[in-house]
Amino acid sequence: MQVLANLVVLTAIYALISCGYVLIYRVSRVLNLAHGELMMLGAYLLFTLASLFKGGPELAFAGAVGLSLLVGFVLYVVLMRKMTGELVIAAVLVTIALGILLRGLMVLIWTARDLHPISVLGWKNPPVPLGGGTSISSVALATILVAVVLYLALMLFFRYTRWGLQMRAVGERPLLAAQRGIKLHAVYALAWALSTFSGGLAGMLLALDSGLGSTMVIVGLKAFPAALVGGLDSLLGAVVGSFIVAAAEILAIHFIDPLISDVVPFVVLIAMLLVRPWGLFGTKEEIERV
Amino acid sequence: MTESPPMLRLEKVEVVYKKVITAIQGVSLDVQQGQIVVFLGTNGAGKTTTLRAISGFIGTDDAWVTEGRILFEGQDIANWPPQKVANRGIALVPEREKIFETLTVMDNLEASVGAGASRATRKRMIDTVFDHFPRLATAKTRLAGYLSGGERQMLAIGSALLCEPRLLLVDEMSMGLAPRLVEELLDHIVTLKKTLGLTILLVEQSAHLALGIADYGYVIENGRIVLDGTRERLGGHKDVQEFYLGQGGGDARKSYREVKQYRRSRRWYG
Ligand SMILES: Nc1ncnc2c1ncn2[C@@H]1O[C@H](COP(=O)(O)OP(=O)(O)O)[C@@H](O)[C@H]1O
Ligand SMILES: [Mg+2]
Repeated sequence: MQVLANLVVLTAIYALISCGYVLIYRVSRVLNLAHGELMMLGAYLLFTLASLFKGGPELAFAGAVGLSLLVGFVLYVVLMRKMTGELVIAAVLVTIALGILLRGLMVLIWTARDLHPISVLGWKNPPVPLGGGTSISSVALATILVAVVLYLALMLFFRYTRWGLQMRAVGERPLLAAQRGIKLHAVYALAWALSTFSGGLAGMLLALDSGLGSTMVIVGLKAFPAALVGGLDSLLGAVVGSFIVAAAEILAIHFIDPLISDVVPFVVLIAMLLVRPWGLFGTKEEIERV
Repeated sequence: MTESPPMLRLEKVEVVYKKVITAIQGVSLDVQQGQIVVFLGTNGAGKTTTLRAISGFIGTDDAWVTEGRILFEGQDIANWPPQKVANRGIALVPEREKIFETLTVMDNLEASVGAGASRATRKRMIDTVFDHFPRLATAKTRLAGYLSGGERQMLAIGSALLCEPRLLLVDEMSMGLAPRLVEELLDHIVTLKKTLGLTILLVEQSAHLALGIADYGYVIENGRIVLDGTRERLGGHKDVQEFYLGQGGGDARKSYREVKQYRRSRRWYG
């Protein structure tokens, strides 16, 4: 039972992170390989704001979430916007460089020590019993809820709002979208903002549950196979992919060796790339061959 | 000949792809308000490039207007981004990739209505498109990727109309369609011109049907305009008869260029 609970929690974490990859890939075919670092930046922002606003943890949390949104927007406008028209691979390389840069900056600013934003916020994280001797932490429960709400909100957003429709249109044919008067850069900026928003949220929840340190980047990277297994351009795919990767990881921890847990997602990734390179739910035609 | 200032004027326009491939050169043409102008030329002559130069390139095209001016209602719009041109009043029905295949017909139309339009306005505008093309109304909820060739073309034209253009650019509408269907679509174009007061620049390979509805025409060859005139003049022109109306008889496979070299002094515009 506990295994099942852990599986759900891990799935929620990966799902929360991987939708950030999907959002950007879906509208621009760019893989944002700085997503792990951006997620960590969100967590650090929470830590700093928590230290600044000692009295108001909710305010600090809301502020950090808002700033995460802003980070994506600004990143697109000052950096990624310049990459439109360049090869996709060039844009991906820029995100790798960005990730390395961010990691360095974060060490400079916040040092490499493990931090615990939850104690700074003054919040508690008691275990929540689920019956049958099973329990998960309060933050883990919150993570599951946030993931569910976020995915539902995103699906409704894509389906029923004009911005969502424009994102789908741009994702399929940017040129035609522009010819129909859709503002490409606004749509891309929104995708980046939503991506860092969801990633930042994931980083904050992760940091509340288990502290904030350099290992968080690894978690971000492990969510990448989850997004890719699902096909990279589908939200539903990201959930299923997150579940598969989480399941493989938990099985490996239980039946093989906890030490290999960080490797398992990438084994799944390679297996997937060999069998179905466009992922479970991805669009087959749209893979750009190398 | 004196004329009122044209709605659209290209002045010696040159377009270069990937910084080295010159696709059109010295292209000058006028489109008068309220006219249907047809733009003829064989495959690879530069028709699409000319329309794309007007409607705007994006970064991935790696194309630029390197010479000349594109004046729309007196304003130079050369190298404007497509969304700005669309909002300025020019809509393009592209040659290919003309609809969003993963969206429903309704979503295709919704996505094309300008920002800021209220829900009621959007509905009214889309209903106008359905009035013109009732077949789209019956296919509202279908994915555009499953439409037939004719329906795709209607959807593409309908979507372009939702940008509320004053000038409509249509690229090789007839490609891959049965002649009957092409005639039907050309009828629609004439109706649109009349009911919406549109000005239309129509690209075609064959003069057959297009010249019938046109007020004026240009012929482009190898990136340069080689001939222009009213419908009557072009229709009566020996070259056009031979190569675009297929009335030459005998050895019709000769290239247009061969003929023009012995029959006509070169007429470069620009
Ligand atoms: N994206 C492109 N990159 C490089 N050259 C191009 C591109 N598009 C068109 N061309 C070249 O420009 C010329 C004109 O093409 P185009 O405008 O498509 O002709 P048409 O529409 O009359 O068939 C052709 O020689 C073609 O090879
Ligand atoms: Mg063409």
